[in-house]
Amino acid sequence: MENVDLSIVIGGPQGGGIDTASNMISKAFAYSGYNVISVREFHSNIKGRHSYVHLRVKNSQVRSLKYPVDILVALDPDTIFEHHEDISKGTRVLYDSDFETSELSQARMIMRDTSRRIKEMLEAGGHPLNIKGVLEYMRAKGAVPIPVSFGNVVSAAVSDGTPTRYFNTFGAAVTLAVLGIEKNYVEKVIRSVFGNKEKVIAPNIKVVDAAYDYCSKNNLRLKTLADLEMGKKMLLTGNDGSAIGKVIGGLRFQTYYPITPASDESTILEEHEDIKWIDGENSNLITGGVTVVQAEDEISAVNMASGAAMTGTRSATATSGPGFSLMAEAISFAGMDEIPLVVTLYQRGGPSTGLPTRNGQSDLLFALHTGHGEFPRMVISSGDVQECIADSIRALNYAQRYQLPVIHLIDKNLANTTELIDAPDIKDLKIEGPVKSDGKDSFSRFTLDTKDGISPIGYFGKDIFWLTGDEHDEKGHVTEDTWMRDRQMEKRFHKIETAEKEIPVSDMALLFGPSSADVTFMTWGSQKGVMLDVIENLKSKGIKANLLYIKMFDPFPSKYVSEVLNKAKTVIGVESNMTAQACKVIKMNTGISIENLILKYNGRHVTEDEVFDAALRIIKKKEKVVVLENGA
Amino acid sequence: MAHNFRTDVAIDWCPGCGDFGILTALTQAFTELNLDPKNLAMISGIGCSGKTPHYINAAGMHTLHGRGIPFATGIKLANPNLKVVLTGGDGDLLSIGAGHFVAEGRRNTGITVVLFDNQVYGLTKGQAAPTMALGMQTKSLTRPNVFGQVNPVSLALASGYTFVARGFSFDTKQLKEIIKRSIMHDGSSLIDVLQPCPTYNNINTMEVYRQKVYKLEDDKTWNPTVNESNLDHFEEIYQKAFIKALEMDKRIPTGVFFENNTVPSFPRRLNEHVKDYLKSPPALQAVEKKGISLVDPANTFEDKILQ
Repeated sequence: MENVDLSIVIGGPQGGGIDTASNMISKAFAYSGYNVISVREFHSNIKGRHSYVHLRVKNSQVRSLKYPVDILVALDPDTIFEHHEDISKGTRVLYDSDFETSELSQARMIMRDTSRRIKEMLEAGGHPLNIKGVLEYMRAKGAVPIPVSFGNVVSAAVSDGTPTRYFNTFGAAVTLAVLGIEKNYVEKVIRSVFGNKEKVIAPNIKVVDAAYDYCSKNNLRLKTLADLEMGKKMLLTGNDGSAIGKVIGGLRFQTYYPITPASDESTILEEHEDIKWIDGENSNLITGGVTVVQAEDEISAVNMASGAAMTGTRSATATSGPGFSLMAEAISFAGMDEIPLVVTLYQRGGPSTGLPTRNGQSDLLFALHTGHGEFPRMVISSGDVQECIADSIRALNYAQRYQLPVIHLIDKNLANTTELIDAPDIKDLKIEGPVKSDGKDSFSRFTLDTKDGISPIGYFGKDIFWLTGDEHDEKGHVTEDTWMRDRQMEKRFHKIETAEKEIPVSDMALLFGPSSADVTFMTWGSQKGVMLDVIENLKSKGIKANLLYIKMFDPFPSKYVSEVLNKAKTVIGVESNMTAQACKVIKMNTGISIENLILKYNGRHVTEDEVFDAALRIIKKKEKVVVLENGA
Repeated sequence: MAHNFRTDVAIDWCPGCGDFGILTALTQAFTELNLDPKNLAMISGIGCSGKTPHYINAAGMHTLHGRGIPFATGIKLANPNLKVVLTGGDGDLLSIGAGHFVAEGRRNTGITVVLFDNQVYGLTKGQAAPTMALGMQTKSLTRPNVFGQVNPVSLALASGYTFVARGFSFDTKQLKEIIKRSIMHDGSSLIDVLQPCPTYNNINTMEVYRQKVYKLEDDKTWNPTVNESNLDHFEEIYQKAFIKALEMDKRIPTGVFFENNTVPSFPRRLNEHVKDYLKSPPALQAVEKKGISLVDPANTFEDKILQ
């Protein structure tokens, strides 16, 4: 079978329906049986600034994005300006012919420095400072501009006087027509995207028809993609995955304060607060839903979750860097009081407000050290949507089993990456419960009489016990006694030793590829898929590579990581931050230094092509640190 | 035998502290209401008031400075069957925790907030708290207070608390009755309790308060309560509460300023949206059977499945 591997960027103004267009494209490919991945990039802005979705479609497993793209769809002039470097020979640049009169100086929504850089590029090539100039630049590189009069074609199809409303559908439909997706799938997608709103569906279908007619009349179709089988699939973002995992894992109380890119998860939970229970013998007795509360700030959010957790409710909060900073004191409290608390930490570009809608992996060391004093915690990380589901369940399980705060790291890139995955089977996803109080009056919440450091937990509504942020005795009353202080500290940390014994190493770190290799990459988070593709591709250059992928940072799989790295020849760390934080954690735990680094901190998603090139620069040219710069 | 709501933990408040009266009023109220100690959650923040849960024989949580309200709210929302009582100081609730104090009024979750109002930060040696008047200089202050004063009763009224009262720590009988009413009230309550700090507040002492306080209920025409039946008089009752709240100088009223039974509590609001929330609140739901989830993701998240 022919190898299908298509990359697409569709861009337009924020608020102009880019998400819907990308959703249509993804779904149409999915219905046709193809694998699809996409990531959403956007400004911290409601309307007007440039946003885009980068997609990749394959008839085999797809797990990374790459440039240049095969088709660039511009729903505004800014997209052409911004993505002038993302094309190559044969790239179809599809745009509204009205844009041809647009001047760079009029593109006020482009960031000033971006505009300056575009201007310099155009001047260097002797091109005029407008869309025509950029198209000239692109043509010189072999790209094929396809001007379409969006206004004329759409107005002819839908005469409701607001043709621009349908430009996103039109752009998506032309893309699909050019790439050879059958029209019936696109119509199916329209119905799926717009639900039962017949008034919206009818004109959108007319627009799809017009797009297909236009492409066929003008011979724009590049290929015909064969229909493939589609299994029971879900099209999910990292945010979706985390929300679904939480509900499967027993979450019944979630708090949040609005923040990008975390609040989408809470919105998804709220949309699905009405739980559908498994049919079983007692199914008619089971009712209830998930309670989601928007708190007044992140301090409140995390402490509400801690309070709820002490009623026996599986509770969590979700936030991003600035909110997580506010939670520091509360996390220390949860550590001291052995509260089963889950915090999903969506990492974005810092410091401070930083790049609020962009990617980053710069909160790892912070997550490991948040909060004053010494207390046990767990820090886990996900690298793809499937893992977001499983890891949300794990986070809830660990919190219950070990009675401590669990921080689940998901980076912005993963939060906003859409993947097509198999629907989860709950039989593979085990739920672990806590060791509970016996309900007797003699109950001591922090009894020292344990073999594993885990004292049975008591709940408001069931037991009498005390909790305090002060050091406490077995009952939970304040103490400053030296002996009791030592024993309680030791008991709390004993739980981490227990966890290290109980948690399989394969849940903490994994080695992908051959067990011995010339080059060993180390990564974490959303670079997982990129690195898996890179090690495959390096084979074509005769380079044998493998990947050490880390999923758990506290407790850290020191022994395993040492074994892998001690055997490795050349080690390259790949991270979305400036200071190689995971490499520092490895150094701290194993003493092993990782000298070769591929780093990215411009806030955009890491792509396969740039890592591949960077890896060759390190392997062949012996460069030490390569900084990645892809992305508009 | 009635449950003994006192623990044997040694109380380390200063002799003559107003906190003792509040503790007495609380435990008497619990006893008279015959509360099940397992269904009572005693929450506190930091400071002298924060120690209260340790002295009460019911499940207690002595939390972070200013954060008692979020913890209490989380507990109440996860299990609205519980009675949740919060003891906090003036600095705790009106300075570091002021944001939560206001937000709780908007929520009306159904918790009782008992404000230990002695105008100073006792445990850190007598700094000025938000309820201290501008220019006042207690003995531990190096200079007169440069901050203005916040009025807890009017702030609670403005924030939306549906039961707003004031007590005096040396009138435990009145305070106990106020606490009982607040616990039975379906909504959030603020009880501002005037109390001396014998160690650091040498200006507003027990004797000073004794001379100033008078009871609102002594005026037989005083009616602070809004029900469905007198909802037409809401504005008038609410305004009168504010006027009384502003009386802070020569005479200080105690008693119930305002009680509104027409605003649904947060649990009732949630029940409108989350299926069977009151019948089957988060804390009482099953989540698994033999380690397998009881949620059907394919059905709950049906909209995410491609058909």
